[in-house]
Amino acid sequence: MNEYDNIWLHRLKWTYLLLVVLTLMTPVMYVMYISFNANGFGANEYAFTLEFYRLIFSDELLIGALRWTLMLAVVVTMIAVPMALLAAKYYKAADNKLFPVFLLLAPLFVPPDILGSALLVFFKNLNFTFVWLGDQLGTSLFDSWFRLSFLTATIGLIIYTIPYSFVVILITMGRYRPEQTEAARACGANGWRAFWDIEFPQIRAGVFSACAFTVILVFNEYTRTSLLKGGFDTFTTVLISQMLNTGMSGQSYAMSALVSFVAIAAIGSIIIFTMLRAETLSRVARAKAEPVMS
Amino acid sequence: MTDKKAPAVDVRNLSKHYGDFVALRDVNVTIAAGEYFVLLGPSGGGKTTLLRTIGGFHKPTKGEILLNGQSVGHLPPDKRPTTMVFQAYALFPHMTVTQNVGYGLKVAGLPKDKIAEKVDYALEQVGLSQFTHRKPHELSGGQQQRVQLARAIVLDRDILLLDEPLAALDAQLRKDMCLELKHLQEKVGITFIHVTHNQEEAMTVADRIALIANGNLVECGNARDIYRAPEKAFTASFVGENNMLRGKVSEANGTSVIVDVAGSKLTVDKRGLAVNDGQEVSLSIRSECVALDRINGTKPPADGMSIMGSFDESVYLGLTTSHLVRLPDGTEMVSRVIADSDDSLPGAGAPVRLSWKPSDIRLHVD
Repeated sequence: MNEYDNIWLHRLKWTYLLLVVLTLMTPVMYVMYISFNANGFGANEYAFTLEFYRLIFSDELLIGALRWTLMLAVVVTMIAVPMALLAAKYYKAADNKLFPVFLLLAPLFVPPDILGSALLVFFKNLNFTFVWLGDQLGTSLFDSWFRLSFLTATIGLIIYTIPYSFVVILITMGRYRPEQTEAARACGANGWRAFWDIEFPQIRAGVFSACAFTVILVFNEYTRTSLLKGGFDTFTTVLISQMLNTGMSGQSYAMSALVSFVAIAAIGSIIIFTMLRAETLSRVARAKAEPVMS
Repeated sequence: MTDKKAPAVDVRNLSKHYGDFVALRDVNVTIAAGEYFVLLGPSGGGKTTLLRTIGGFHKPTKGEILLNGQSVGHLPPDKRPTTMVFQAYALFPHMTVTQNVGYGLKVAGLPKDKIAEKVDYALEQVGLSQFTHRKPHELSGGQQQRVQLARAIVLDRDILLLDEPLAALDAQLRKDMCLELKHLQEKVGITFIHVTHNQEEAMTVADRIALIANGNLVECGNARDIYRAPEKAFTASFVGENNMLRGKVSEANGTSVIVDVAGSKLTVDKRGLAVNDGQEVSLSIRSECVALDRINGTKPPADGMSIMGSFDESVYLGLTTSHLVRLPDGTEMVSRVIADSDDSLPGAGAPVRLSWKPSDIRLHVD
């Protein structure tokens, strides 16, 4: 706070900030609240229980959905984050930065329904083409390559998450000085070694944040997954179809709350770790730094 | 195989273009093994481009670079017998001083005890033995540059490239580090190629200096010659504090020429240059070689080694004082003397005479 600031204005700003956070988090906290109520959603009486969390593990549908979503999240993260990292490295080195950044961020500006539908049509046509090709060659080898499946959902989600990962990594990379790579090369390191030893440790936080972000995006995504996966068997698709058809079960609330806990804990840990590290580094620097010596 | 008799660096007809922009144009320079060589010039002149091309960070558009007699045009930086010290920001911030200095040795696959031994020795050379466990942000600017130096010399490469290594340091530290660099080079005996735009820095450390401007190698020679006897007008204008006079040759016979400058006829040694009557030429005289005298009533005789003007002002610079004199054509000349007192100075606008010894004025036809 600036010493000349009005204390009440300062408090008002904090109150506003807390209100924004509260508005954003209230629905999530309400789901968490319901997940611990033995009487479920809308009940007059609140009876605390952990029963629904225990029941999650015996609910085949939810566990199956979690498994599929986790697999999608892992595969998409393993492919999308390295691709985004390469793109960010190319972007940093490029002379003309406008064109690559436009290409990489363009998918963000296409509404999810349209991009999902376009990919659906694309994969359907591609599948027809491959089936036709198989028929011409007298083989059924190509029949299932582009049928709606885990593969098509993965491709759709990679397209969706790459721009986010790219931006997150690029922000961290902005602080990296390319002279350090050149210094490593001058010390005898080849390109890969210079990246791995020098650049990666300094952008690691960004890469891990991109991984966490990608996992959360995959967990959250409904439109593309429902259109491209074939079958409503992922986390959000199960929850939403359940909600629309039969209403959410107690264990669905518990599962939603659990995923929210994990996401908040993961992102919170990254933020707290980064802040603590920055604070420690500056404290050490202040303590150890000596006056300029000739 | 390395040719031991070959120069450390041999740059042949080197050009570097960025689209239409020519960063280097047909540069030829040879640097002997064990020499402290300085690339001096104004910013944007091409000296860093030349250094980085020698180091393998840029590919030449045309021409060839030989290091120890071997053509290295196809080799990346890590495969060349060079290493580099950068202007700033080049230490690895996540590593300690020891790890920074030992990084190249680790890459080379040396055993840990050997690395530790060599790192200790290198840090001792640069006077940083007590800072081994510190991270770069815990060091001052001068200490950081010394870590860079240690990281470079520990590799025992033949050629050390220094890209404005002192530019980020304050004036006093820069002076101290200049001498340290010179002594270090004498101790380790390898070839140093040092880029700077600071002439004092260049003079302090260099065995030889190459002046680079607008992508051209303007002039190359030992520090004393570059300062006292510049061949080119640009060198005279860039190095030292020279008075640059423009004039027209009125008589070009024998070993000297007479040049019309601001109404005075000045006699200058021809230095074997081809000049004709009526040709536009420039003359240079270092400001410390110009003496200032008052004119008391009578006009002094024209002797070819002096020029008249009106006193403008004096600028006290501590060690020296610069007297500024305006010539009749508006050109400003400076006479620099060891600091003297204000009371003996002529008044503003007073007629004065500036004179010099015949050997102090130089003719330039470029």
